[in-house]
Amino acid sequence: MEGNKEKRTKFCINDHVDILTEILKRLDGRSLCVSASVCRLWCTIARDDSLWEHLCFRHVSPVPSSGVRPVVVALGGYKRLYMVCVRPVLSRLRRLRLAGDSDRVRRVWTRDEVQLSLSLFCVDYYERLGRLGTGGGDASASSLMFLCKPVNV
Amino acid sequence: MKRDHPKTIGGGGNSMGNKAESSSSSMATGKGKLWVEDDQDAGDMDELLSVLGYKIKSSDMADVAQKLEQLEMVLGSEDGISHLASDTVHYNPSDLSGWVQSMLSELNHLPSSDLDSPILLSSNQDSLLGQPSTITSLDFSSNSQSKGFADDSEYDLRAIPGVAAYPRQEFDESNDRKRMKPTPIGSNTAPAPAPAVNSLQSTNSSSCTSPSSPQAMAVSGTLSEPTRPIVLVDSQETGVRLVHTLLACAEAIQQENLKLADALVKHIGLLAASQAGAMRKVATYFADALARRIYKIFPQDYCLDSSLLDTLEMHFYETCPYLKFAHFTANQAILEAFANASRVHVIDFGLKQGMQWPALMQALALRPGGPPAFRLTGIGPPQPDNTDALQLVGWKLAQLAQTIGVEFEFRGFVANSLADLEAEILDLRPPEVEAVAVNSVFELHRLLGRPGGMDKVLGSIKAMKPKIVTVVEQEANHNGPVFLDRFTEALHYYSSLFDSLEWSGLTPPSQDLVMSECYLGRQICNVVAYEGGERVERHETLAQWRTRFESAGFAPAHLGSNAFKQASMLLALFAGGDGYRVEENNGCLMLGWHTRPLIATSAWQLPAGDSL
Repeated sequence: MEGNKEKRTKFCINDHVDILTEILKRLDGRSLCVSASVCRLWCTIARDDSLWEHLCFRHVSPVPSSGVRPVVVALGGYKRLYMVCVRPVLSRLRRLRLAGDSDRVRRVWTRDEVQLSLSLFCVDYYERLGRLGTGGGDASASSLMFLCKPVNV
Repeated sequence: MKRDHPKTIGGGGNSMGNKAESSSSSMATGKGKLWVEDDQDAGDMDELLSVLGYKIKSSDMADVAQKLEQLEMVLGSEDGISHLASDTVHYNPSDLSGWVQSMLSELNHLPSSDLDSPILLSSNQDSLLGQPSTITSLDFSSNSQSKGFADDSEYDLRAIPGVAAYPRQEFDESNDRKRMKPTPIGSNTAPAPAPAVNSLQSTNSSSCTSPSSPQAMAVSGTLSEPTRPIVLVDSQETGVRLVHTLLACAEAIQQENLKLADALVKHIGLLAASQAGAMRKVATYFADALARRIYKIFPQDYCLDSSLLDTLEMHFYETCPYLKFAHFTANQAILEAFANASRVHVIDFGLKQGMQWPALMQALALRPGGPPAFRLTGIGPPQPDNTDALQLVGWKLAQLAQTIGVEFEFRGFVANSLADLEAEILDLRPPEVEAVAVNSVFELHRLLGRPGGMDKVLGSIKAMKPKIVTVVEQEANHNGPVFLDRFTEALHYYSSLFDSLEWSGLTPPSQDLVMSECYLGRQICNVVAYEGGERVERHETLAQWRTRFESAGFAPAHLGSNAFKQASMLLALFAGGDGYRVEENNGCLMLGWHTRPLIATSAWQLPAGDSL
């Protein structure tokens, strides 16, 4: 009896990786990054690229084709795609469109925005290629640098 | 301090600019407010100058201004007499007219040399009270006392076309030396200068006004501390003067009056120093280019050291959206033209670093139905150190292609000029097998300097039987036959460009910003200073390109709304994004800064049935 009661009250999420994954899937980017520092298990899950894929295309309509994944993975993965392109693109475009609304409102991505992010991501990869060729160069030089700068829109 | 100013005037007598500068600074080195309470009848005195410590009767102002003018001309032209200025003893420095009179009488008996240098003297409506500045351009024809220069040395600012340089005023017809009455200073603010300020392209004045008003405020702020010496500069006003001087200098060159131009160029340098931000940079580059034109000093060949040019262009690519806009819109047109092709071939007239192609390849890779086989032919200039830059770029693109799963083939061709190309050497396959696209970003205008070059290239393009030809060019007419027109156009165009750079969100010592500006500065130098075959930056407007392409037999291909949407989104991502404007113009897309279109993308195809 005592044992049952304990089992019921002590629910450890780490024992249920699939539930944990489902929960983490619903987080926003920043929280997902933060969650990677909770413990080793969470770190492993949070680094899984499929979570980031879900995050990138969560609100995309229509759903991107199956050909996208190998390309994105080859160019650096979904986490990088999110960090470098998707997050800044989304936040800037969102700020423009929804003047008054809070970001509680979930915008649906359009195909064009996806396309733009992917193009920029590809350009980023190409530039990194170039830098490798010249022996490093300075990492701050990037044509996507403009996405990292704070914008007063 | 006050006793010193004759010396400073004398010592600085080398150029007129110095004189203007030192006189304004000496006016300001007063203990401003302390002089105000003097015994003179305040009603008669010009109040504004009296705040600074000078007592001039309003009625005398015109006269004094004239005399200052003459004084400067005399002092500025010959070094030998400037020591006389310091020998004169002045007892009442606040009495400007008396001082000027005494100086002139000292110097008057000397032979005065060329008096053909005009000065843009501005009688100060002050910026402190926030009133619009009055520009008074005084024309001083050759003095009857002077020897030597005849009437043809007269310089009349009214010759500058438009209201921009010279507000229209009535003048004395009887005097054929065109002496002008200055506008009355003081109570009545002439409304005429307002159009003079505004008739400049609004982008110009906006670049003057936006940094200047905080400056003007700062200036008025410091004046309240009487002990601190300040240089009283109304930067909005000097901004307009700066533009006037630039235009005046260009006109002098146009009229082959190089001495005058020389004097003006030095003046520009000083005026530019008082500006801030975009205006200062533009003025500096233009002044430099004008100086090169006057003294005929040209650096090594404009088209050499292409690796440096590539580096500059890379920084320009990163800093502002113009090149990205060009690439994205052209790519969209190419993508749409390649919709059903299984083998595609793009011929790039200026490969450089190949920054345009990753995005196209990615879009092709994700095309529904799978990617086509992609062939790229890149054309580039010969490298000074014999490295094969084209192959390097081709290799990088091949790596990218392999990563994303696109079948890729690359060929590089080195050519000094596009006109040297023949369609045959490009190894083209028949149009049923492969679809061809020709792409030119800021390359075609270089051919206009070479007679017959443009026609030859258009013929070669037709021989390539392209499905689509994408052309991106600067939206400006920098190829007119008259130098002054080109100069004026270029001034407005590059002012807008530099203005947009200011808003790129990069803090000033950024290397990217500097390199981008350098990149544009080279173009400015080429437009202004070079001539003939070396002047390659022969930009023309979209309308002119349209005429040219249509008369060569091409039909316009409209860029679709996809391109427009992509372009708008791209611009929205940039800092200062609301300053950029995408416009659709009869199927072509133009990117501009505020109201001024700066680059235009257009697409062309051969009419069906003509491609045989």
